[in-house]
Amino acid sequence: MSTALPATAAPTTGRPPRGPRGLTWTVLRLHRTALIVWCLALAAATAVLIWMYAIGDEARRGMSGCATPATDGLPSCAAVDAITADETYSAFLGLITTSLSYVIFPVAAWAGGALIGRELESGTARLAWTQSVTPARWLAAKLAAPAVVLTAGTGGLLLVNLWARQDDDPNLVGDWYLPDVFLATGPTAVAYPLAGLALGALAGLLWRRALPAAGVGFAVTLALYNVLERYRDRLWPTATRSEQGEFELPRSAWQQDWDITWGRYPGEGTPVSTSATFHPRSHYWPLQYVETGIVLAVAAAATLAAFRLLRRRMP
Amino acid sequence: MTAVTLETSTAAAPSRGPRGLLWAMLRLHCSALWFWALLMAVGVGTLLWAYGPGADAAWAEYRKVGCGGTAADLGCDFTVPAYSRYDTAVGIGAGILGLVPFLAAAWAGGALIGRELESGTAQLAWTQSVSPARWLAAKLAVPAALLTAGSLVLTLLHRMLWSSDGVLRMAMTSREWHHGITFQANGTLATAYALLGLAVGVLVGLLQRRTLPGLAIATAAQMALMAVTVALRPHLWPVETLTDKDEYPPFIGMVVGDGALTSTGARIEDPICVDNAKCLAEHDIVGFYRDYHPSSHFWPLQLVETGIVLAVAGLAVLAAFRLLNRRTGAAV
Amino acid sequence: MTETAIEAAALSMRFGRRRRPALDGCAFRLPAGSVCAVVGPNGAGKSTLLSLAAGLLRPTEGTVTVLGQAPATARERLAYVAQDKPLHPQLTVADTLRLGHELNPRRWDAAVAERIVAEGDLDPAAKVRTLSGGQRTRVALALALGKRPELLLLDEPMADLDPLARHQLMAALMADAAEHGTTVVMSSHVVAELDGACDHLLLLGAGRVRLAGPLDELLAAHTLVTGRADASLAAHTVVESRTTGRQITALVRPEGPLGDDWQTTAPSLEELVLAHLRAPEAPALRLDDAREAAV
Repeated sequence: MSTALPATAAPTTGRPPRGPRGLTWTVLRLHRTALIVWCLALAAATAVLIWMYAIGDEARRGMSGCATPATDGLPSCAAVDAITADETYSAFLGLITTSLSYVIFPVAAWAGGALIGRELESGTARLAWTQSVTPARWLAAKLAAPAVVLTAGTGGLLLVNLWARQDDDPNLVGDWYLPDVFLATGPTAVAYPLAGLALGALAGLLWRRALPAAGVGFAVTLALYNVLERYRDRLWPTATRSEQGEFELPRSAWQQDWDITWGRYPGEGTPVSTSATFHPRSHYWPLQYVETGIVLAVAAAATLAAFRLLRRRMP
Repeated sequence: MTAVTLETSTAAAPSRGPRGLLWAMLRLHCSALWFWALLMAVGVGTLLWAYGPGADAAWAEYRKVGCGGTAADLGCDFTVPAYSRYDTAVGIGAGILGLVPFLAAAWAGGALIGRELESGTAQLAWTQSVSPARWLAAKLAVPAALLTAGSLVLTLLHRMLWSSDGVLRMAMTSREWHHGITFQANGTLATAYALLGLAVGVLVGLLQRRTLPGLAIATAAQMALMAVTVALRPHLWPVETLTDKDEYPPFIGMVVGDGALTSTGARIEDPICVDNAKCLAEHDIVGFYRDYHPSSHFWPLQLVETGIVLAVAGLAVLAAFRLLNRRTGAAV
Repeated sequence: MTETAIEAAALSMRFGRRRRPALDGCAFRLPAGSVCAVVGPNGAGKSTLLSLAAGLLRPTEGTVTVLGQAPATARERLAYVAQDKPLHPQLTVADTLRLGHELNPRRWDAAVAERIVAEGDLDPAAKVRTLSGGQRTRVALALALGKRPELLLLDEPMADLDPLARHQLMAALMADAAEHGTTVVMSSHVVAELDGACDHLLLLGAGRVRLAGPLDELLAAHTLVTGRADASLAAHTVVESRTTGRQITALVRPEGPLGDDWQTTAPSLEELVLAHLRAPEAPALRLDDAREAAV
């Protein structure tokens, strides 16, 4: 019984235990398995990224131009081709990038199921509320402790990821506008899991049962993810380029729409004029900020709704 | 009060419809059943929409911008809004098929088995006139039948779409027969993976005996198993090889590997000489090869992988029965 | 010899290698038609024993037979109510009874089940999730009795009930048992709840059988004695003795006539049980003619 709250455990042991105290300790202790899984996943991802950084230079050599025999500017082709590091580098960075962009889903399911839903279903939430803890503080701790852990984890992994990607060669690490690359290289990587946490917690409070809440949390974040992916290009005004004849956009441009004006015979010869709308690379940060803002607003709204719901339900 | 109670409940008991364990299964997992029906309705709806109005609109718009040719045209490798809508619809249909195995695993590990063992309602059933083995059989058979039926319907619709939108697809080069989800949605694999998800979920649920860990571990296990089988996919049938003297053979179908050939016929990694004759001579390169699966390998690849997936699912089911049997005594 | 409801021989159950066995070489025999109380302190193995008898667990060692069969094959003839009364929360009361009907197609007696539910004034359309603990117990018992079992295994059946409902359900249970010759085995640590209802006793302690047999014979085998502290009880088996001042009070199993030094009274069920609970090292006593445990 004395393990339920450290405040009661402390006097019996004589000296106060080190580390987190009170509600924070409670939340971390109750969700120790999740914390361990999260730490292991982060450690594994970091290890992979460090390895990727280590083979990064070699991977770049594997993509470079070559000549046979080697000239003063170019290495020998046989040497370049012997390098397989570029494939390993692409594959593993792609895996980490995709995983980082998907963190929101397990987080939402966990928050709806284990963090809130199960506690309300089994009545252990009431156990906490009848200690010297108000429901609002309980919910605040339930949200704050995982939020801090998530932010630290995704933020750290994001920095390591950026470091391991080095010069962002799109041949190796993908173009900046690919959905998962976009979500794993900027502040969105931190914002999305927080939205998952808030939405999952709200689902847990609404459904009050573990499994439905986990399912709803997952479904809602799946919808959020796909809606934002679909409308991402509209989050910032596109640039337009119109020219006589034909032109190609550079690879770094995220092209949106083409408008081709043909002469008398459509599809034959050279068009009269071409107009393209696209996001140049310089739109990366505005797009990131707007999307981060939207996602954080969703997280804040869900958190607010969760607190209001709890307050309305409690005396 | 008493009279009313008796009347209503006796009236309910000898009703028509499913009986026994089947009734119990359907009644207990009523919300899952509704969810499945809804998901199927969404899948069928979007695929039918794509087949009819979606494809027509995409074609109309595509022709309007002047990309009427049959072959892929460099100037036309962008998406027009109607096509992108069409593509989204097809993506949703195929995406549902791709998601079902994970949903099945999560549901089976959590709600179907884990929760029943955690709350003791499984033991409630076992002390009725139902042996644990029959209980487990019902738990497996009813969802398996529904999963199979739903997945097959979506697969057939997806195939219908696939056989009709070839030109559109070629023009936009968006989907290929061997792409992950397309490959699964066009054959027996989507169904096989759904059944694997169910079997894995049931086994994990029995091992974990708790709702949320059952759900999480079943999903993770299903992901791991699918990662392995998908990685094995290109090696499940003998490849075809194309060779060419001067340059690489065309890039068609599911490419498994490529490289250069020496005069002895040995395969070596391409030193990327491009057209440098001296370099070619130096490496004794007389041609290039490419290993690939043509689209005619679709069914062999599909069926071998289906066989493997179903075998794994069968093993999981067997393990689940043995586990239950060992734990509950001689179950008849 | 009467028919046997439950017979256990060298029955052991272990959960995990390193943990203390929940049951350790239990042997007892329970005749059919009796109403048996399974008593013991927390963690004595009562729930494990009932689960084994219900065919929900496979014993690590030894055997248990129920109604002359292996428990797993006697499934149809027994009913079991687990300690936490598991029911499907999403079903209504009526659907829960229907579940019993569907899962016991050959035995279900809807009238019995419905009567028990109706006596509790439960709305058949209410979801199990919305019921109170006592109401859930009632539904769980209705489900068990509706099956018309020959052997009814109840794990702490009355814990959630108010005194009136407890009395009423106990009476219904006993009437049903008497009418149909049902064997009832119920575990409890509220001894008062069992007094007057049971004719057999099985006292478990630390996974072993401490007392087993017909209640009246067990009571007759024990005597509560009071005497001077220096008097000797060496000839008899002393279960428990307490000295207050110069006086000693003891529960003994007389092996012969007690001397005139002793004032004797017959112990009550509660005194018998409490004395054995307080003295865990007292020797076991079995009056149920079971085969000896081969430990």
